[in-house]
Amino acid sequence: MKSYLALMKIDLKLAMRMRSVIFFNYLFPLMFFFIFASLYRARQDPKLIIRVLAMVIPLGIVGNGLFGAGMRAIQERELGVLRRYKVTPITPLPLLVASMVTAWFVFMPYILVVLSISHFYYHLPWPENWPSLLVFISLGLVAFRSLGMVIASTANNMQEGQILIQLFYFPMIFLSGATIPMEVFPPILQRMSQFVPASYLVKGIKDMISSNQSIGAEWELVVVLIVAAAVGLTVGLKLFRWEKEEKIRKGAKLWVAAVLVPFLIWGIYNYVKSKGAAPAQWPQQKGTGSLHRDNGYAHRPRAS
Amino acid sequence: MNTDSVISVQALQKRYDKVEAVKGIEFEVRAGEVFGLLGPNGAGKTSTVEILEGLRPRTGGEAMVLGFDPERQKQQLKDRIGVCLQATNLPAKIRVQESLDLFSSFYTRHVSSEKLLQRMQLWEKRAAYYETLSGGQKQRLALALALVNDPQLLFLDEPTTGLDPQIRLEIHKLIEEMREEKRTVVLTTHYIEEAERLCDRVAIMDEGKIVAIGTPAELQKNSRTQSQIQITCAAPITQSWPQWPDAIETSLDKEGRTLTVFSSRPARTLFEIMRWLDQQNMQLEDVHLKRPTLEDVFVELTGKKLRE
Ligand SMILES: Nc1ncnc2c1ncn2[C@@H]1O[C@H](COP(=O)(O)OP(=O)(O)O)[C@@H](O)[C@H]1O
Ligand SMILES: [Mg+2]
Repeated sequence: MKSYLALMKIDLKLAMRMRSVIFFNYLFPLMFFFIFASLYRARQDPKLIIRVLAMVIPLGIVGNGLFGAGMRAIQERELGVLRRYKVTPITPLPLLVASMVTAWFVFMPYILVVLSISHFYYHLPWPENWPSLLVFISLGLVAFRSLGMVIASTANNMQEGQILIQLFYFPMIFLSGATIPMEVFPPILQRMSQFVPASYLVKGIKDMISSNQSIGAEWELVVVLIVAAAVGLTVGLKLFRWEKEEKIRKGAKLWVAAVLVPFLIWGIYNYVKSKGAAPAQWPQQKGTGSLHRDNGYAHRPRAS
Repeated sequence: MNTDSVISVQALQKRYDKVEAVKGIEFEVRAGEVFGLLGPNGAGKTSTVEILEGLRPRTGGEAMVLGFDPERQKQQLKDRIGVCLQATNLPAKIRVQESLDLFSSFYTRHVSSEKLLQRMQLWEKRAAYYETLSGGQKQRLALALALVNDPQLLFLDEPTTGLDPQIRLEIHKLIEEMREEKRTVVLTTHYIEEAERLCDRVAIMDEGKIVAIGTPAELQKNSRTQSQIQITCAAPITQSWPQWPDAIETSLDKEGRTLTVFSSRPARTLFEIMRWLDQQNMQLEDVHLKRPTLEDVFVELTGKKLRE
């Protein structure tokens, strides 16, 4: 227990001392927030700022998960920092848990800041169901950090890691609705986006803020995220390597796929469910509040 | 097996993909001694000690460290030993004192980080970031980190490689202190002077094998390389000399004043030469006795030099 606390304390201190952490966790996403907000002219209607939030929060989660967890793990291994830990009696678990908890503490101020700006400047009412929203965001963070960790553990060096992470990052942010609104996508891309893990974040966050849904109403998404996180952590621990000299077996790279399986199953399930109702549509259209028309999915033809 | 042996190794083997790094070695380390593994780069020193530290699995053979099997009882073993790795790093922005506090938290036993910092002369640097430390300071911090759990057994893998001679001497002093504190130390090095100065016993390693083992004095004594005795007299030696005991080869320089004698038992030969000179009423100006160094022993055993 002592080592968990000590690791969290030091992780948090180190994070605050790194300019890149401040930049990528706060400045960079905030910049997107203001760009999107002005593109949508979000001052005119508080509903519009919800769309912006549903983009920039997932953007932050995906970046924190893939780059924050993934690249850092590779870096520490490459520099020989993990090697020094290997000499001590600790296991990988406290290292992973500490980095998870630290990431949460680093990420939450960003959420508070974007919600506050949305409230005070863009006149968005405070989300009634904010505990649900925070739990959902936290869960997303854990799931994406697990994914980042697994990707990191399959990369043999920095360059490989960089390529692999970008390979996941860009489709994730462009095909999920986190940067380009879904309604401009052709039907085929809309369908594909159902298989992109980040789109679950976009949808969940939008629903929770716009229709004040509780996390219970999104239980299916929650299950997918929990399963992905659990698989990710398990695989991450299994593939954890302390030294760059320990190369990963070729076949082991397929473990990345294991983390994506829950999302894949969920995508297929939805596809089957909405078959005949082309193009595919999000399975839950309940809680249709007044804001729902604006949530980005309403423009798609509906099965009726 | 000796009861007070802290480490015992039998038929230890380590193979990487293609390289056979350790080819069945055997040795024991006794409580309280400084044991050296001396050998050139690639001899298999790091592979050997990292197996004993519980960091790498072995390919074959047996190993016992502090009564633990380093492969099956990693955690217990790691809790009890101190390690200074050959290549390692800390996060750039961690402060010296923070790193000690962090690493202490990993162990069941710990010593005051304040005392350690003072002892390693890092007290003034306690708030400095790791990235700002000099090479010598980093190495002293590495030694401090190896001591946070007050270990009775320490592994130091090339602790002075790449450091300035002066800093190397500082590190030597610290290692001597560890010996005075009755800690057992396993030290790897490719510096002969280091092994000669610090180690109670040395195993000479080459290409994955131990080619000789013993105290530095024993290794020198058993060397086939003979000692060289050089005697300079005040006046040229004109008379012929007898066959001195154990003298293998004797020669006189051009001037006729300096006599060079190779001997397998130099102490006895020297004594006889002195007696003869006395009988001849020769005035002595200078006497030199050159024993084979560990370097000579190494060259003799492996046919190569330790450093190019
Ligand atoms: N992780 C590794 N993978 C493959 N080969 C290695 C590895 N570590 C060491 N070797 C090889 O094993 C041999 C012994 O290396 P090492 O134990 O580091 O020797 P030393 O510490 O005496 O320099 C060398 O030929 C080295 O290239
Ligand atoms: Mg080495």
